Formats: sequence, C-alpha cells, structure tokens
Amino acid sequence: MTPILQQFLSEARDLLQSISEQLLKLEKTPGDAELMSHLFRSVHTLKGNSGLFDFPEMSRVLHAAEDLMSVVRDGQLGFSQRLADRLLDAMDFVALLLDEIQAGAAGGAAHSQSSVRLADSLRGLIVVAGAAADDSLEPQSTGSRMAAVALPLDVVPEHLRATWRAAALSAEPLHWILYAPASDCFFKGEDPLHQARQTPGIVWQRVSGPGVWPPLAELDPYQCVLRFDLVSTASRAALDEHFRYVPEQVTLVPLTLAQLDPSAGVAAPTSDVSDVAPVDGLSASYLNAILAAQVTALDLPDSVEWLPGRLRAVASTLAACYRSRRREDVLPSLDAALALALSQNRAHPLQEWIEVQGDQFAPTANAAQAVVDPSATATPGSVNSSDAPQARGVEDAAPATTVLKVDQEKIDRLMSLIGEMVVAKNGLPFLAARAETVYGVRELSREIKTQYAVINRIAEEMQDAIMQVRMMPVSSVFQRFPRLVRDISRRLGKEVLLTLEGEETEADKNIIEALAEPLIHIVRNSLDHGIETPDVRRAAGKPVEGRLTIRASQDSGRVLIDISDDGKGIDPAVIKRKAYEKGIIDESMLERISDQEAVNLVFAAGFSTAATVSDLSGRGVGMDVVRNAVERVNGTVTLASETGLGTNLRLSLPLSMAVTNVMVIESNHQIFGVPMDMVLETVRIPRAAIRSIKNRQTIVLRNRVLPLRSLNELLAGDLPQVSNELDEMATLVVQIHGESLGIVVDDFREVVDIILKPMGGILNAVPGYSGSALLGDGSVLMVLNPKELVTWQ
Amino acid sequence: MAVTYKGNVATFADAVGVEESEAFLAWLHKHPKPKLDLAACTHIHAAQLQVLMAARLPIAKWPHDAALTAWLKSALTRDREDK
Repeated sequence: MTPILQQFLSEARDLLQSISEQLLKLEKTPGDAELMSHLFRSVHTLKGNSGLFDFPEMSRVLHAAEDLMSVVRDGQLGFSQRLADRLLDAMDFVALLLDEIQAGAAGGAAHSQSSVRLADSLRGLIVVAGAAADDSLEPQSTGSRMAAVALPLDVVPEHLRATWRAAALSAEPLHWILYAPASDCFFKGEDPLHQARQTPGIVWQRVSGPGVWPPLAELDPYQCVLRFDLVSTASRAALDEHFRYVPEQVTLVPLTLAQLDPSAGVAAPTSDVSDVAPVDGLSASYLNAILAAQVTALDLPDSVEWLPGRLRAVASTLAACYRSRRREDVLPSLDAALALALSQNRAHPLQEWIEVQGDQFAPTANAAQAVVDPSATATPGSVNSSDAPQARGVEDAAPATTVLKVDQEKIDRLMSLIGEMVVAKNGLPFLAARAETVYGVRELSREIKTQYAVINRIAEEMQDAIMQVRMMPVSSVFQRFPRLVRDISRRLGKEVLLTLEGEETEADKNIIEALAEPLIHIVRNSLDHGIETPDVRRAAGKPVEGRLTIRASQDSGRVLIDISDDGKGIDPAVIKRKAYEKGIIDESMLERISDQEAVNLVFAAGFSTAATVSDLSGRGVGMDVVRNAVERVNGTVTLASETGLGTNLRLSLPLSMAVTNVMVIESNHQIFGVPMDMVLETVRIPRAAIRSIKNRQTIVLRNRVLPLRSLNELLAGDLPQVSNELDEMATLVVQIHGESLGIVVDDFREVVDIILKPMGGILNAVPGYSGSALLGDGSVLMVLNPKELVTWQ
Repeated sequence: MAVTYKGNVATFADAVGVEESEAFLAWLHKHPKPKLDLAACTHIHAAQLQVLMAARLPIAKWPHDAALTAWLKSALTRDREDK
C-alpha cells in the first residue's frame, strides 16, 4: 500500500459517491445538461486515475461507462432508468474492487469475466440514434459467444488429438484459445507473438495470417493481421490471468470429447445445440445412455466376489459424467455413497444416490451457469447500510478554499494532547493557592495566577480550534439516504420524495458517526410502517408520492435532526393495546395514559406492532435501540405523531463530546461528578420538610411533589446522608425522562470542565457511571450517570 | 540493432523489436531474394513475423531456440503450403 495508492482509493470512493448522487439526481431531471456533463467528468476522472495502476478489470468497466456517458451527453441516447441501473451496477462492481484492493487482495483476474460482462452490458446500450435499444444485448457469458465457433481440429496431428481425447476423458483442463489481437495493438505496445509464446501450458500452436497477403510494396507491417490458435492444458484461472489485459480479443473454448472425436457416433440433436452445447461436454442423450447402463449394472445380483470392483467402476463412470457437465458439486456425495456401498457390500446406496439425483442430463441451461463467474454477484439493490463514512478530515463546502485530507489518527492525537493540556493547566490555581496558604508567598501566588490566565486563554482557544477541526457536516451521514430511500421504496412498491435540509450543519465527528445507525433505522421505519402504498394514499386523498423530510439545524449548543413523514402516523390506541398485551403497562395505566404518552411507548424495549414483520424493521430492533444509541452520546429523541397525517422524530444532540461540564459533589467522604446538563437545580432542603409516602421520601418543591433518593443508597451503601450545620440536606434536582427527581448528597463542591473518558474494559458494563476524569490535582473523579443509577434499581 | 545486413544476408540476433520491421521491409525491396540467418535469434516481434509471412521467404538458418522455431514453422511453412 503506497501513499499514491491510498490517495487513489480515497479519491475513488469520493468520486463513486458523487457519481451515485448525480445518477440519482439525473433520474429525476434527465434533461439537465450540466448535471450530465458533471457526471461524465466524474466517470472520466475515475477512469483516468485507475489507469495509473494495474487494475484492468476496473479500467475496462469505467471505459465502457465513459463511452456510454459520452454518447448520452452528446444527446445521441436518452437517459433512462435502465441506463441508471446498469451504471449503478457497474459502480457497485468498482466499489467491490476498491474494497478488495484496500484489503490487499490482488486477485483481480477472478473478476475479469464480470468486468467483461458489465462492460458489454454498458456498451450494449450504446445504439446508433434511431434504432431501438437491443434488449438481447444482455450480459453474455463467453460460453454463448463461442456457440458459433467451429474449431479447425483437423489441422492438428492425430497423435496429439489422441492425447487430448485421453485428457478430456479424465476431465483435465484443456482449452483451445483463439487469440485475435486488435489491428492497432502494436501502437498500444503489445506484442501478440510474445503474449502467445508466454501462455502457460501450450501443447500446440498455430499462427495464421489473412487468407491472402498484400504485395510487399503495399504491406503495412504495423497493422496486426495475425491470428493465433493455441491449445493449452493450463487451468481456466491461469489463462484468465494471462490474458487479463485483452479478454475481449481472446476466446477460450474448453475442448470437449464431442469436438475431439466427432466420429464417436454422437449425432448431437439440434435441440442440444443451444448456446450451451459446446460448453456442456457430452450431449444429454449420450450421458443418459451411460447412466442407464450404470443403473442396469447396479441391478445385477450383489452376491458376487467382484462387487466392490463393479461399484467402483460405476462410481468412477458417474463421476466422469457429472464432471463433463461441470457438476463437480455432486462428487462429494457420490464419494460418500460409494463408501457406504462398499462398507455395506451392496449396491443399494449407489442406486439410491442415482435416484436422488434424478435425471440430471436433460439439455438445460444449468451448465452454462457454471461458466459465468460466480463472483459476479457484485449485485445491486443490496443496501450497504453497514458502510461507515470514510474518515474525512475536513469536508469542503466552499470550493474556493483549499482542503486537506487528514488522517483521523492525527486529529485524535491532537485531541488527546489538548485534553491533557486542559487538565494540566487546571493544576496552576491549586499551586497558586498553596503558594499563598502554605508558603505564605502572596506575590508569587499573584504572579502564578496572572500567568495562568494567559495559558488558560491560549489553551481554551486551542481546544476550541481542534474541536472545530473535528466538526463535520451532517451531509456525510445524509448522503447515503437518497440511494437508500430509492432502493427501499422500490422494493416496497411505494413512492417517496426525499427532501434533505441543512446538510451543511456541523457537529463533532463522534456525534455524526453515532447518528448514522439510528437515522437509518428511523428512515426504514418511516418507509416501512409510516408511508402508505400509493393506493392507500390515493384513497385517503393524499398525494400518491409520500414525503420524507430530514432536516438538520443548530440551536443553543445542540444539533437538532428532524425526521418527518406524511404517512399514516402512529395510532395511540393501537400502541396502548399492544403495550398492554405485552405487559409493558397495566390496566390502570391503559386508562390514564395520554395520547402523547401512548405514542412514546414505542420506545419501550421489545416493542413491535407490525402484523407481518417485514424484512426491514419490526423485528424487535426497535425504537428503544435508537433511543439508547442517541442517549449514549448525551442526546435525546422525542416523537410526535398525528394519526393519518404523519410522524415527526426529533433528535437533539450536543455539538461536541469532548469537554463535559460537571458538578463535583461529596457523599460518604468520596467525591463524584454529575454532568451539569442533567442538573436542573441545586437546593438545600430542611430535614423537617421531608415527608415519607409509602416508604419513599419526598418533599414539596414549588408546589410539586419531588421524590427523593439518597445517593448512598443508590450506590448500595448503608450510611445515611449527612446534613449541614443548619440541618439541611444538599439535594441535586435532576431530570430523567421528563420527570424530576431529587438526589440527596452530603455536599456540593465546585463546577469544573473535564475531559470525560468512558470506562474501559469490564468496567464498561457497570451501570451508574458515565466514566472518569482526571482532576487538576491528579486525583480521579468518577462521573455518575444518574439515569442509569436510578433505573438500575 | 538486432538485424544486421551484409550483402545479401540478413542476420537476426537476440530479440528483434517492432521498430526494425520497417527497415527490414525497405531492405527487402532492394534484395528480393535474400538469405535469412535466424540462428542466433531468440524472439521476433509480431510485426516482423508479419513481414516474413507476407514475403514468403525461405529461411536459410532456423533459430537454435527450438520453441521459437516451432512457432515460426507453424506460421511460415503453413503459409507457403497455402500457396
């Protein structure tokens, strides 16, 4: 992996993304000339870049795509959905190749069949203006291409042909290679004679020219008119690899017994001569005759000494038959049947095996499949939701500014360092205090404080600057949605118009990445359960096309993402009933609960109301998972819905995760941190005001009942909380899922900014703590997660 | 230069490249019945082969390299048979 290859991969993925977006846009506005031109340029650039490296499979497909786009751009061919589909297929294939290159696998030659097929499918669309597009130019396997080829076997000496017949019988690879170099190949630096000579496994060769050579005076030696015929015993894969750069000039014909020995009396019936026959090997009727003979042999009495020999002979005959039909997949079960028959010393297992296989030798297209590269399942339509966004240092919105692509590791290192700097600088005020109180040097204390102010300002600015570097626009998450919505809506038979707003809104990279999965899930839910099919919508008087809007905005230090659809909404009655059935709520709640609260029940774990679980959602990976993912980054998610009109989900996320503001509190001679954005207020309540209701302690605060919990008790300690000299209890009022709760501690301390480090390893599973942080004096602060603490009980 | 010319004899040595075909063709015009010595030759470019095939010239000395000889014979002798 060289730096230039790394750069190529990064740029190639960007280009693929941009090509994909442009294709989707062009589908909606096919007449947009500028878009078309832009698309052409992207494909052209990608093709050019790939030419720097040794990726002929990729370049071939991209070249075909470029030719196609050129014709479309010049107006000779209209842009159609079929064209878009094929181009998307081709781009998916290129993405697959990029992944392989990234992973270090160099086996591109295995994909040479797919690349030729895809290139052909693209070129097949290029039609002279006026003629109808030829549907039959669908991807052809090279098998069908050679259907019409008659091999000139009679020029081969008989003794060689005999050796080849023997090889064909034992199903060893044997190929006739027709190599017809392009007439201008010399100018591309090719030497076909050298290429031919270097072919592995040659057992016979021939070079021929045109039937009649021009007179010497008129001969142009630099026009290649040669044709090469070769026979090789090398494997198909080795031959593919050798001719990797010129697959369109080469036709590989596997040599079959029928071709080598036409006198074998197999009158190939015309029904067999489909595009499949030359590839299949022996014709169906011949093989069926052999099969019948084996069955007859097995029917003979078992009680002879030579039964094992008979069984083995039958098995090897069957194996040869299936191998000639490229059905190597049955061989293991045949071996097993033979072993069983030998151990039991009777023919029955083999007879059974033949019956189970059925009459395999009908002239079907089965064998042709084997010729087509099985790895050509770089198929479209599968939605790659597991694609994580590539690490982007700085996303450029304004084309005028210069942009650096930076390794994520470098940024993370910077962040770590600045985090340490922030903590380290916080040690200075302590020093100043000690200088004054312990050493009595007031002047020094003041100077330290002055210097601290300078360092503090610089460090905070540096931290702010670095956090800005990590800011990414949400477009990096949004960009996958047009394709996702297109594929899913087509699969479900619904029509959906997707609108994205506020894509340039920025948030910290971690937040953006944490958003991806919840958003995908929400969008899928919307498409699956929210938006109705066109018929239902028409009947309801709605426009046939459903609307899905995803909007991002910033508001007072938080990023807001709104996902709204105009589908059928969430029916509170249905939800209530389902929740009751699943035991999530009891009868009294069923009565009391408001519609808004009912709708929010979808966040309860294990909830799913879809009558039929579609393959997309409703499998119990529900909204609770979404909410957990969002809350893990200190975000919140709220849901609002109106039956029949639509649903709106709002995600609210902090702008950055780096620095957390916490209040330090003391309890049981230990200090803890509580994130300030969970704290509603701090209050000291007189012990006398505490009431006990049903074993729970509460007070009345501003005319509302506030339940109280003791922190010691929550942390599973037994000691009662300590009050201050006025017999007041220090209480933190926090908000958990919309409800207020008072946590009683011993005392409040200061509010500090810390770099919160989540717990690592096995401590991660311990509920109740968000993480830990280093304080200025070097001590460790455990930061509580009040929500987990309370709900864990 | 892998092809050297002396009188009526053209000697091919080592690997004959693509750029020599044109010169050879020109030389052939002036020497329509040349003697061709390929004994020391290890490879000829396809362009060169085309000239040899088109000119239908007899080879005085075939290459020591047996593989190359096999290729050349398949190209040159067959062509002459077609005549």
